[in-house]
Amino acid sequence: MTHMEDREMQVSRRELLKKSGGGFGWVGLLSTLQANVAAAGSSTQYQVGCHFPARARRVIFLFMNGAPSHVDTFDPKPALAKHEGEKPTGKLFKAAQAGFMPSPFKFRKFGQSGVEISELLPRLSQHADDLCVLRGMHTDVPNHEPGLLVMSSGHQQPVRPSLGAWASYGLGSENENLPGFVVLCPGRPVVGPQLWSSGFLPGQYQGMSIDTNETDISKLVANLRHPTLTRNQQQRQIQFLQAMNRIHQKTRTEDERLESHIKSLETAFQMQVQANEAFDIRREPERLRQEYGDTAYGRSCLLARRLVERGVRFVQIYYVKKNSKQPWDTHNDNNGKHRKLCQDSDRGTAALLADLKSRGLLDDTLVIWGGEFGRTPYAQINKDDANKPGRDHHATGFSMFLAGAGTRGGLTYGATDEFGMHSVDGRMHVHDLHATILHLMGIDHTRLTYRYSGRDFRLTDVHGRVVHEICS
Amino acid sequence: MRRLDSTWILGRVAIGGALLISAVLLTAPAQGEDRADHFESAIRPVLVEHCYQCHSAETTEGNLRLDNREGLRRGGDRGPALVPGNAETSLIVSAIAYQDDLQMPPDRKLPPDVIQAFTRWVNQGAYDPRSLPNRLPGAASPVTTVESASHLWSLQVPRPQLLPPVVDRSWPKRRHDFFVLNRIEAASITPNREARRNELIQRLAFDLIGLPPTEEQRHTYNYTQDPRWLEQYVDELLASPHFGERWARLWLDLARYAEDQAHIVGNNEALFYPNAYLYRDWVISAFNRDLCYQNFVRCQLAADYSPSDTTELNALGFLGLGPKYYDRKRLEVKAEEWEDRVDTVCRTFLGLTVACARCHDHKYDPIPTRDYYSLASIFASTEMHNRPLHDGIEVSNEGQAKKPSESSHVVREGKATDLHVFVRGNVQNLGDQVHRGFLSALSNSNDMRFSNGSGRLELATAIADRQNPLTARVYVNRIWLALVGIPIVTTPSNFGALGARPSHPRLLDDLAIRFMDNGWSTKWLVREIVTSATYTQSSRPTPEQLPVDPDNRLLSRMVRKRLPVEAWRDRMLVASGNLDSSIGGKSIQPDDTTSTRRTVYARISRFQLNPMLATFDAPDANVHSARRVDTTTPQQRLLTINHPFMIHQARAVAARITSHPGSVTEKVRFAFRLVLGRLPANDEFNLATRYVNEHDNPEHSWLEFAHSLLASNEMLFLD
Repeated sequence: MTHMEDREMQVSRRELLKKSGGGFGWVGLLSTLQANVAAAGSSTQYQVGCHFPARARRVIFLFMNGAPSHVDTFDPKPALAKHEGEKPTGKLFKAAQAGFMPSPFKFRKFGQSGVEISELLPRLSQHADDLCVLRGMHTDVPNHEPGLLVMSSGHQQPVRPSLGAWASYGLGSENENLPGFVVLCPGRPVVGPQLWSSGFLPGQYQGMSIDTNETDISKLVANLRHPTLTRNQQQRQIQFLQAMNRIHQKTRTEDERLESHIKSLETAFQMQVQANEAFDIRREPERLRQEYGDTAYGRSCLLARRLVERGVRFVQIYYVKKNSKQPWDTHNDNNGKHRKLCQDSDRGTAALLADLKSRGLLDDTLVIWGGEFGRTPYAQINKDDANKPGRDHHATGFSMFLAGAGTRGGLTYGATDEFGMHSVDGRMHVHDLHATILHLMGIDHTRLTYRYSGRDFRLTDVHGRVVHEICS
Repeated sequence: MRRLDSTWILGRVAIGGALLISAVLLTAPAQGEDRADHFESAIRPVLVEHCYQCHSAETTEGNLRLDNREGLRRGGDRGPALVPGNAETSLIVSAIAYQDDLQMPPDRKLPPDVIQAFTRWVNQGAYDPRSLPNRLPGAASPVTTVESASHLWSLQVPRPQLLPPVVDRSWPKRRHDFFVLNRIEAASITPNREARRNELIQRLAFDLIGLPPTEEQRHTYNYTQDPRWLEQYVDELLASPHFGERWARLWLDLARYAEDQAHIVGNNEALFYPNAYLYRDWVISAFNRDLCYQNFVRCQLAADYSPSDTTELNALGFLGLGPKYYDRKRLEVKAEEWEDRVDTVCRTFLGLTVACARCHDHKYDPIPTRDYYSLASIFASTEMHNRPLHDGIEVSNEGQAKKPSESSHVVREGKATDLHVFVRGNVQNLGDQVHRGFLSALSNSNDMRFSNGSGRLELATAIADRQNPLTARVYVNRIWLALVGIPIVTTPSNFGALGARPSHPRLLDDLAIRFMDNGWSTKWLVREIVTSATYTQSSRPTPEQLPVDPDNRLLSRMVRKRLPVEAWRDRMLVASGNLDSSIGGKSIQPDDTTSTRRTVYARISRFQLNPMLATFDAPDANVHSARRVDTTTPQQRLLTINHPFMIHQARAVAARITSHPGSVTEKVRFAFRLVLGRLPANDEFNLATRYVNEHDNPEHSWLEFAHSLLASNEMLFLD
């Protein structure tokens, strides 16, 4: 696409936003393209997805803050036992204080496909044939801030729009009464709101963050309820207010913004009911809530399902806790902590997959599980508690998994070397993951651009390759 | 010599892709050792298919061209791509074998037989019959050179303009009205006449001081017969200490003003700016005393160059409040911080997106990468400084206040440093060394090197130079945007080739020159604009205007502006009687019900912007914001109808209404005047009295009525 066309597209996009009154991701790129095509008098038809048909209509990204250990979950390394205590070589790891530490957890092959999964994730193992395990992931920097930002926005510094913002910018929302991008976050992750920022994209694509520690629905979503008025009382007030707005508009009919504001108030009033319903997991059967687990993470998973079911495009769950911004950062007692964390994550994640599947939603909902990087295959010894070694940050090789929506279930893609140090085969940088996620959503990552500060920005910048091998 | 039809191969390979490459390899050169055959069948098709896209005349990534013999031998940023006869030391072989950090092609590794073919080719001397293709006559280089800068409109020095002819000589009041009217008349429509007096009084107050007019001002200027009422009223507003508050906020958007960092490690607040407000106060004061714009620029970039005069030091917050990134001792991170400074300075003052040139010569504007590093060197020679507020404060060995709360956040001179170009932005890949200096496209001589310390004072002087074609134009356009609502250049921080062209270029030149002639005075500029026929005309379009000028680019009517969140919130505080109108000082949380100070004093966070500000389009303070974007979202309306701050103000308004003496009729009329600055029309009056009278709870009725007035669209829009 030439720059000129791009600029024109932005102009019409802006006009479109103006005309439609903005709102929760009202128009995605899809409708903009269609409008442009219509304006040009062409007969080209676009299906779901901007550039080609989408396999994933919605995404749920399960983010394990602090970075889970790949050699304890999805990437078994028997060589670590054989070479236990030996220090890794290579200039990157000269400073390693301790030697290789084998995982105490047993791995077994599951399902017809035989995906190898650790005993820490027994429930998830039952879904082995739905999992597409990526063992060749790598990222740039083994530090949380840049790692989180690269995973959420493709860039180490906090200025860029997040993946969820790009996705809802690209595809819009399927429910005008709910936001296109919701972030479920029981506490505050490291870096914070930059992770769901819309950056230079229009503000309505920013993630709406929900503190899932709250179970009281009125506290869950900001300004969702008038502190004192009943719905009927408020309805009477809004009717009066709208009548005043109509009188104000009467002598200013050419100004479309006034109509947008009136519509927007109607939507807001409706949303008070809609959001109350959508965000309230108490409406789910007790048995199902048990299945997910009554933890912040379990509740978030269940809420994520309710939201995508109602047309929210992108739900991001951050696995944090009220008192911990990155529970998976197991610098000490790696094994003990992973036991507990995996138990919780295993339950909620498996319940989510089963629930999506039973509703037929897994076919076009992409589920992503992983952290900002992996953990070292060698130990980190702590002076205070030498008996409970940890694992340090590790960026050159780690694992994630995808499920649903056109990914190849039962596939183990890519590999690290025999110690789990470096990704050596099926290497996937975070940019490649982003390119592939957008591809599954029907978006060509090289063509989803936004003109800002004199140039066209992309989620993947100048990088990224679509990994077709993992798409079915 | 056997000849293969290489065109045929190329054509088919382009269609058939990688599979065909293997097929060709198998069929072509296996038995013979004919080097030409080998090249044509196994090497050239791969180069065409996988390399040319990024490494040819069209696109030259890494300055490497693989579409001719010389290109391969000379190589790019990383040196020669091959050494004939030695595959082991040839970059192209290790790159396609994915042996090192450079892995090409980036999307996927080529099949092993292709890699073998290349290895053999290089070892056998890298036979290559291709010559450098001649550039087609007249084909333009994609990269704008400094020499071609003269073609960019914004780099011409503004020229004095003769007034264009107009038919209706009674309409224009100021020089720029002639330029506006000339275009309107050319489109065969007529501009609007002056707006209603009451509307104009309101418009001027919000535009100049960000607050509604007082009851007294309304009364005085609504009924005066004095033909000079407008000038008198404007002068009164320009003299108000609230003038600086309104204009400072505009400047703070450009300066990405904030009081903390986007990255917070643990609860470490060592990099925060608890006294950032000192810079905000300085900006307010600078506008209030109408500091000449040249000095305004100089103070913010180089106030520390006059050691005897410390009164303007807080102006350095423009640089000193810039983002500090995580792990900021690392060179990569320093490079990011320098980019912030270069980006903010160049977009704010010059309307140029220089940061594009950090990795490559600017593709569209005459800004070579060397220029970027000349500017970055200035900031590499400058230190962020927590300057102790007064004597006796604990300082580190380096003279930094130990507690940020006891300092003002400014900059000071560091070790003068001339950077090397970081080739393609990579800090490990050093290119030529540059000298601290200015943009070559804006330099009169071929060489504008700075040598006075970091060079900040010379930079400020070069920016504030009358001969600089951008500075006055960019500033005039910003003030115009704030007052008129539609800028002359719709990309206020990009006057480059990819920015918009001015809608009224001659008007912009004329106004820019007169701005400089009038002492670079902001108040002069504001007065000039708001006393014009263009500004004072009615905002209601006529039926003849709409089809001809639907977007109002001709300014045939005034723009109905939406109030920014600051003016909207302040307006509510005035209506509720809660506004604390004191000037300057520490920050507040604007959505706190107990906060009664103006919104300009809101604490601005890079980590998490206050939700009220964020909901109503205040910009992200991590970067320079060229102009605000107006969004219309249900969250805004939810906040308006449900937020405790709104209800708190509504309650105060209701209390004022109920304590107003008289009947429901008088109370309703009072309420409209109080909140909206006008009396109700008949239908509004009937609607309101019916609502109040028919309500089942008289106490609630006034509260709901007051809240509805505050939540109404009219509160947000300025006729």
